[in-house]
Amino acid sequence: MVEYTGKRLIQLNINGEQFSLAVEPQETLLEVLRNQLGLTGTKDGCGTGECGACTVLMDGKPQLACLLLAIDCQQVKITTIEGLSTGRQLTSVQEAFLEEGAVQCGFCTPGMVLATSALLTENSRPSEKEIKKALEGHLCRCTGYNKIISAVQQASAKMTRNVT
Amino acid sequence: MGGLDYVGKRILRKDGPLKVTGQATYTVDIRPSGLLTGRILRSPHPHARILNIDISRALQLAGVRAVITAKDAPGIKHGFVETPRYPADQWPLAANRVRYVGEEIAAVAAVDSHVAAEALSLIRVDYEPLPAVFEPEEAMGTDAPEIHPRHPKITDPFSNIAGKTDSGWGDVAEGFARSHYVREDRFQSHLRTHGYLEPQVTVADFESSGKLNVWTSSQGPFIKRAKLARTLGLAQSAVRIHQAYVGGAFGGKIDLFSHEFCAALLSLKSGRPVKIEASRDEIFSAYRHGQPLIVELKTGVKKNGALLAQQIRVINNCGAYRGSGAVIIFLSWGFVMLPYRLPNLKYEGFAVYTNNSVRAPQRGHGAPQIRFAVDSQLDMIAAELGMDPIAIRLKNARQSGESLPNGDNVHNCGLSQCIQKAADHTGFQQKYGRKRSTAGPTDPVRRGIGIGVSSYFSGSLIYPNSSSVVVKMNDDGSATLLTGALDIGQGAETILCQIVAEELKIPMDEIEVIAADTETTPVDIGSWISGNAYVTGNAARVAATEVRKKLLELAAEELEANPDDLVVANKSVYVAGSPDRRLSYGQLIAAGIRKRRGDPLIGEGHWRTMKDVPFHPSLATTKGRWSENYAFDAQVAEVEVDTETGVVRLLRAVTAHDCGFPINPLLVEGQIDGQVSMALGHAFMEEVRMEAGRTLNPSFLEYRMPTIHQVAVSEHIDVITESYQKDRPYRTKEVGEGYVSAILAAIANAIYDAVGVRLFETPFTPEKILKGLGKI
Ligand code: FES
Ligand code: FES
Repeated sequence: MVEYTGKRLIQLNINGEQFSLAVEPQETLLEVLRNQLGLTGTKDGCGTGECGACTVLMDGKPQLACLLLAIDCQQVKITTIEGLSTGRQLTSVQEAFLEEGAVQCGFCTPGMVLATSALLTENSRPSEKEIKKALEGHLCRCTGYNKIISAVQQASAKMTRNVT
Repeated sequence: MGGLDYVGKRILRKDGPLKVTGQATYTVDIRPSGLLTGRILRSPHPHARILNIDISRALQLAGVRAVITAKDAPGIKHGFVETPRYPADQWPLAANRVRYVGEEIAAVAAVDSHVAAEALSLIRVDYEPLPAVFEPEEAMGTDAPEIHPRHPKITDPFSNIAGKTDSGWGDVAEGFARSHYVREDRFQSHLRTHGYLEPQVTVADFESSGKLNVWTSSQGPFIKRAKLARTLGLAQSAVRIHQAYVGGAFGGKIDLFSHEFCAALLSLKSGRPVKIEASRDEIFSAYRHGQPLIVELKTGVKKNGALLAQQIRVINNCGAYRGSGAVIIFLSWGFVMLPYRLPNLKYEGFAVYTNNSVRAPQRGHGAPQIRFAVDSQLDMIAAELGMDPIAIRLKNARQSGESLPNGDNVHNCGLSQCIQKAADHTGFQQKYGRKRSTAGPTDPVRRGIGIGVSSYFSGSLIYPNSSSVVVKMNDDGSATLLTGALDIGQGAETILCQIVAEELKIPMDEIEVIAADTETTPVDIGSWISGNAYVTGNAARVAATEVRKKLLELAAEELEANPDDLVVANKSVYVAGSPDRRLSYGQLIAAGIRKRRGDPLIGEGHWRTMKDVPFHPSLATTKGRWSENYAFDAQVAEVEVDTETGVVRLLRAVTAHDCGFPINPLLVEGQIDGQVSMALGHAFMEEVRMEAGRTLNPSFLEYRMPTIHQVAVSEHIDVITESYQKDRPYRTKEVGEGYVSAILAAIANAIYDAVGVRLFETPFTPEKILKGLGKI
C-alpha cells in the first residue's frame, strides 16, 4: 500500500496563473491538473507514458504529465490545452486540425495539438520526417495519422505565411 | 435555389472546436462532488469454483464506503444476445464459479484509489481450481472440461458450443460435381483488441429521489439503460444515461460491462457518486477483445472462373461467456453471401466456449477474417485457372438490382466499378505477376500488388431497431435537434446537423444538438451495426421535413400564397418569383404564436433499416431479411517485402468504395483512413498474446498499434451509386466498418505477388515470410 507522508504545499505556474496547492508527494502532475484544478483537457489514456494523451508543455517543450510528480514541476511554466488559445480564437494549429479532418473521437487531440504547437515554434517548416519524429509518442486510433500529418503541414504553411 | 448547401459537402465537425480546445467532456472528465472511487476484484484463475468470499476486513478499513459481491446483486444474468435459444449467460458479478482470468468477483467504493486498492487486497476469496480449456477445437472435444455444465446443450455431443449457425442454399454436392476446379484451404486469424484511447469508465450517481444517473463511455445509451435497469432490478425510468463524448470504441463498448453494473450498485449502496475507471492493464487483461476465426473453405468454380459452390466451416473462440460469439458466426455467413454471386452454399459456424475473457465485436465483426479467407483463396483459384485477380472478381461480382439469397436486394451496387476503378488507378494488371524490384535483380526488396473486396450492411434489425429524431424550432429561427445518437468519433452530430440544415436551410452553427441522453432524447439504434447515417439520418430528414411543412403552412397563410409556390432559403420563406414577399423563420414563429395559441413548431421523424418487415434474421438459420442497404468496396494494396528480413511494408492502400450518397465526404475519408490503419495493425503488428487465459502483453508498449511511423498512403476513389433526391430517403450506406475488411486479403495477395509466399494465418510476421521463403 502507498505510504501517506502527508500533503505538501506547492506552487505551480499553469497557463500563466500561479496556483498554491496541497498535494501528496506521489501525485502526478496529470492527477493534479485533472482532479484538483479541473483542467480535464489533459487526457489520461494509459497513465504509463505510452500514449501521449497527457502531453502538456513545460517551458514550451512537450512532456508527459502522467510521468511527472507534481512536486517536481514548480520551477517551470506549464501550458495545458486550456491555455493554448485565448477566448474563442483558435490557434492556427487548432484550426488546421479541424480543417484537415484530423479530429475524430478527439481523445488524442489535446496532446497532438500541444506537441504540434511546440514543434512549429521550434521549427516552423518541419519535413514529414520531422513531423513523424515529433508525434511518434502519440497514439491515435481513429484517424490513421495521415490527416494529422496534413494538419501539421497546413498549420506550418499558415504560420509561415502569417510571419512572412 | 434548389441546390445543396449542406449535405454532400465537406463540412467541418460540429464538435471539433470543443475537441481541439480540450473543452469536450468525456466520461472520464465527469466529477460530481462527493465522488468515490470504485475498484474491482478479479479472478486470478481461468476456471475455479468460488468456495467463500470474506469481505469483513475490507468493510472495516477506514475510507471504505461500500463493498459488493454477487450476494448484493439481484441475481439477474445478462448477455450480448438474449434470445430463447441463446439466453443470457453471464452474472454481472461471479456467483459461484469463475470462468476466465479477470472475471469480476467483488467491488469496493472508497474515498480514493489508494484506499480502494487496499480494500481489494483485504478481500479473501477461497477457490477450488477446475480444469480449463483455451483453444476452441480442444473445447469442442467430447472430453473437454465443461464450462457451463448447467446450460441446455445446443449441439450434442459437444458440451461447449455457445452458438451454431447453419445456412445454405442450392446443392453444394451437385455444385462441386459440376466444378472444373475445386480447392480446400484452412485460414486462421489471431486475437486483436480495439485499442480505444479513452479507457472504459463509468460514473454512477444515485439521487435520493430514486433516480440513478449514469455517465458511461459507450456506443449507445439506450441499450445500456435497458441492460443496467434489468440487472439492477430497476424500472428503466429509474435509470438515466447522460451524454458524454466517447474517446473511441470500435465495437468494444457496446453491451453491459461489470464496471457499469458495479459503479451503479456501489452508488445505490453508498448513496454517493462512484466512478470506476479501468486501467490499461485491466482493459488488456480482462476486458473484451475481437474474435479470431478458424475458416475451413472449400470452393468449386467453372473453367471461366464463375463460382459454383462453397462449403464453409467457421469456428470462433468466444471466451467464457457467449458475448457476441453467436453473432460473429452469423455475420460471417453474411459477409460471404454479399459481394460475389454464389449459387450453392453450405455454411456451418460454431461459437465455442473457452476459459478466455469474453469477446466483442471489433470493427468489421467477422468481415476482415472471412474476407481474408475467401479473397485469398480466390487468388489461388484464379492462378490455377490462368485468370488474373481482377477478371475473376469481375466475373463473380454482384450487380445492381440483384436479390440476395436471404431475400434482400442490393439495389444499387457499385462493386464492379469499384474493382475496375481500383485496378485502373493502380495500374494493377501491368504490375501484377512481375515480382517487381525497384533496384534491380539483386535487390532483396520486392514489390507486389493485391486486391480484395468486401461488402457491409447499413443497419439491421437489432434492438432497438429504429431511430427517432425530434427537431424543434426556436423563436429566433434557430433549431434544436434531439437525437439519441452518440458521437463516438464518427461524426454523428455533424451529419445529422447537416441534414437538418439542408432541409430547413438553417446554418450549421444555428442548430443546437442535444444528443444521447435517455431522458431528453428519443430512442436510437446506437453507434454500432453501422446504421447511423442511414437510419438516424433519415429520421432527422423526416423530422426536419415535418417542420418545413409546418413553416410553409404558416407562410402560406401569412403571405396569402399557395404552399406549392413557396421557397425556403436562408432561414426564411418567400414566394417564388417575388423575393420581397418574404418572412423570416423568426417572423413566422411570432405569427404562429399570435394566431395559433403558440403551437410549437416541432417535427418528429422515425426510421428503421427495413420498414415494416417483421422478420428478424435468425442467428441460428440466417433466415429472414437483414438490411436494406449494402455498401461495397474493392481495396488494392501495394506492399514491399524484404526477402532478407521478412519485413513487409504496406506502401499504398487504395479504397474504391460505393457508400451510396455521402453526406460528408470529409468524414467518409476519415473513416476510411482509420480503417486502413487498423487493418495495417491487424496485418502486421497487433496481437493480444495469451497463455493459459492470461494476457502476456497488457500495455500499449507491448501490444503494438500503428504509430505515426506506420502510416500507409491511403487513397480513396468514390463510386457514388446513389444521388440526392429531394424529399426521398437518403440512400447513404455504411462507411465505418467495411473498409477494414478487404485490405487484409489484398495485403496477403500482394505479399504472394511480391515473393510467392502464401499466408494462411494472420498476422503477417517476418518469421512467417522467411519460413515461406524457406530461409528458416
Ligand atoms: S496518459 Fe500519459 S502517456 Fe498515456
Ligand atoms: S481521434 Fe480518436 S484517438 Fe485520435
